[in-house]
Amino acid sequence: MKVPTLLLAEREGFQAPGIEIFQWPDIVHLEVAGIDLSINRVVLQMFLVVLLVWGLFYFAFRRPRLVPSGLQNVMESVVDFVRGQIVLEVIGRDGLRFLPYLTTLFVFVFFGNLGGVIPPVFFPLNGRMALPAIMAVCSLLLFVSVGISQQGFGHYFRNALFPPGIPWPIYVLLTPIEFISTFVVRPVTLAIRLLANMIAGHLILSVFFVAAGYMLTSLNISMLFGVGALIFSVALIAFELFVAGLQAYVFTILSAVYIAGALEPEH
Amino acid sequence: MSDSGPEREPSGRGAEMVWSIIGTLVAGVLAWGGIGWLLDQWLGTRYLVAVGIVVGMAGAFYLIIKRYGSS
Repeated sequence: MKVPTLLLAEREGFQAPGIEIFQWPDIVHLEVAGIDLSINRVVLQMFLVVLLVWGLFYFAFRRPRLVPSGLQNVMESVVDFVRGQIVLEVIGRDGLRFLPYLTTLFVFVFFGNLGGVIPPVFFPLNGRMALPAIMAVCSLLLFVSVGISQQGFGHYFRNALFPPGIPWPIYVLLTPIEFISTFVVRPVTLAIRLLANMIAGHLILSVFFVAAGYMLTSLNISMLFGVGALIFSVALIAFELFVAGLQAYVFTILSAVYIAGALEPEH
Repeated sequence: MSDSGPEREPSGRGAEMVWSIIGTLVAGVLAWGGIGWLLDQWLGTRYLVAVGIVVGMAGAFYLIIKRYGSS
């Protein structure tokens, strides 16, 4: 009966991090009119990212030069990327008025994600539902109001809910689907895609680092596996860096696609 | 800069098409599954949610074929 007790001991020794690593205690407890406005680490991190994004743009374009250098150079290439790869590519010239919103969205989502791999922060801001949800609602409100102002209220909703070229009895079947798909599924998937990617990435990183630490300190043969796990976790950091950029790009480009769809009715 | 010249037909719709198809399928199931569930609650039956899901799937397929089938 030696082996089972050993296994049991092993199992008690290693505690894999779970979803509790996304919960932070309140630093300042604050409640206004029954609404919880407490500040925890995630809220602080959010303030910092806002400050960082503001600072990056402010100091880059405070005294813009014709021949950019330093920070201006970097931020100009970011704006250029959103302008060329997202706005012009997806919406066209007509979309340039949405460039400020989309650029801010891209940079903010990116730095929010980046917290997951930056020591000593090691927490992706978008791993909590609040920010992705609010940003998705912003994109929803934006593309609906663009559609209404561009096509008129009746025209926009007729185009969105009653796809052309379909015999009218089938609208009974299709209109609920179109409604849910445009006004519910779009923002929900936008938010969940970002959130789930960040949660998964943070969990994988945490499990690998905790496991590597556990095995490296175990003083037996599994130390070898600990070395492997450590090397692999470094590779995972690089991968998460890639995911941070990719998800910021996806969030922004899908917002742009929705805006483009509201600008011109389907043909 | 690549944005000079005449206005191009906006591309980058490939990924959007995939997401749109998935979204339509999910929306079909949600919309008609939801209607079926509501009817179940109202009439005290139990099978209408399943009927709704199938109807929603069918509607979503019809919508996808109608929208992307010709291209």
